[in-house]
Amino acid sequence: MTTLVPVTYKGGIYRHDEVMDLIDDLGGYVVQKHVMAQDVVLQSFVPRDDIDLIRKVARPLGGEVIEAPLVGTEIAVVSPSLEIHHLPHSACDVAEYLRRAGAKTNMIGLARGFGKRIANLNDEERDIINEHDLAVYILGNFEECIEKKFPALRRGIHVPIVLTGAPDRETLERIIDPPVEGYVGGAGRIMHRFKRPEELAKLDELVEEVSRTLDARRDDLARDPLSIFPPRLMAILEEQIYEITLLTHPTPATAQMEGLRVKLPYDLYADDLRALEIADGIALGDIADILPSRMRNYILIRIKPFSETGILV
Amino acid sequence: MPSLKQLVVESPEEVGRRAYERIAADVLQDLDLVKVIEHLYIYVDPKVPIFIAAGKLRHMPRAIRVGDFANVNIGEKMIVLDIADETYLAPMLQKLWARYGKENVDQPDRFTVVLPVGVAGEEELELMMVADPSETLHMDVIYALQYLAPEGFKVRRQYIKDERFYYVASEDTLPGDIVETMVAPIFERMGMTL
Repeated sequence: MTTLVPVTYKGGIYRHDEVMDLIDDLGGYVVQKHVMAQDVVLQSFVPRDDIDLIRKVARPLGGEVIEAPLVGTEIAVVSPSLEIHHLPHSACDVAEYLRRAGAKTNMIGLARGFGKRIANLNDEERDIINEHDLAVYILGNFEECIEKKFPALRRGIHVPIVLTGAPDRETLERIIDPPVEGYVGGAGRIMHRFKRPEELAKLDELVEEVSRTLDARRDDLARDPLSIFPPRLMAILEEQIYEITLLTHPTPATAQMEGLRVKLPYDLYADDLRALEIADGIALGDIADILPSRMRNYILIRIKPFSETGILV
Repeated sequence: MPSLKQLVVESPEEVGRRAYERIAADVLQDLDLVKVIEHLYIYVDPKVPIFIAAGKLRHMPRAIRVGDFANVNIGEKMIVLDIADETYLAPMLQKLWARYGKENVDQPDRFTVVLPVGVAGEEELELMMVADPSETLHMDVIYALQYLAPEGFKVRRQYIKDERFYYVASEDTLPGDIVETMVAPIFERMGMTL
């Protein structure tokens, strides 16, 4: 079986459809396509052995293929509020940098996440964060505050968390109990853009920390694979459900590590999705849970593992 | 060019103190207040919790009058205001309309405003106050301090008058004598009295 690896293709819009066709022909998947003026960025999964072939085809078009560890993941960037104190720096800088590594990031500004004693997380915020593959918490400058408020902000969160703050990594590890999956120290509340080499190094460290955490989850998934690879399901849905192509969202269907978020109204489409035949005699409802998302009225598809369904599509 | 003479940040946590030094410098620069604030002293202790910023402003720019940016020429039938700098043209028109009525204020072109003779004297017009930059400046300084303070510190007491200002904020109720016990000593260290 060929291994699909996450890559980003960057190139001009001219003849980029040839690259898309090539990825398709090689058995890969394009999970996100961004067209910005003359440029196009494709976040995709391609067979490891064929990366050189794609490079060769892309060379005359001026395109480049970069390994992007976070393609196919949806990450929540959680900041204590959406006030000027946290935006645009550092929360947006972090979200933007993770996007460059291929992730689909959603920024979540908590309603009452600020303060040491008064910090809170409501049920809607909790559920939305739990719909992601991983949450990055962007906290501030004081050890005392992070120690006191973090238990409130993580209550009920069961996805992996990567925590950033101004105290160094060792301090963060010491004050957080029980431990979270990743830490990046030395990156607290700042009022300027991350642009110095040492600041950019922090962002690289964050990407590394996030991909390390997600790799651990990928290893678990390799031991008990999902009934269908999410980008594959995404391709099937886009082909079978015409309405998805009509949506104006940048990512009408968002690939996650263990499922998909489909931006169609749950009430109208959930039953159709459950009944949708994705392979011979197999309905989507047999291999996945079709759930209402807390994000607007979207649909969340959680794919069940092979051990549960005994089906591998 | 005058710039910030002194910026002191004190905190029991060294990491936070250094971060706040950078934040303060960035905020003052972003809001263009480096030339306005002479001294800024910040004390922040998240354990209490308390945030205090105190400092001194430079001499405020004085009030802007019509004579500062326009020539007042009194002719036989008309008073002609010859505008040299458009910055305060809009507030001046507002003031003129309010005082002499729209029918008496005419603006034939961008740099000329005309009034009929007799509605006002030369001195009256020249000394007419158009804008007071210190009004918005005070608001800008308070905004900067709000921006600077930790976001959760919502309970606050602020003061700005003449050249002195302070801003005290906390997450909990502030003690009634906080200004005497914590802010006044800071002003003493800067060689000023509150």
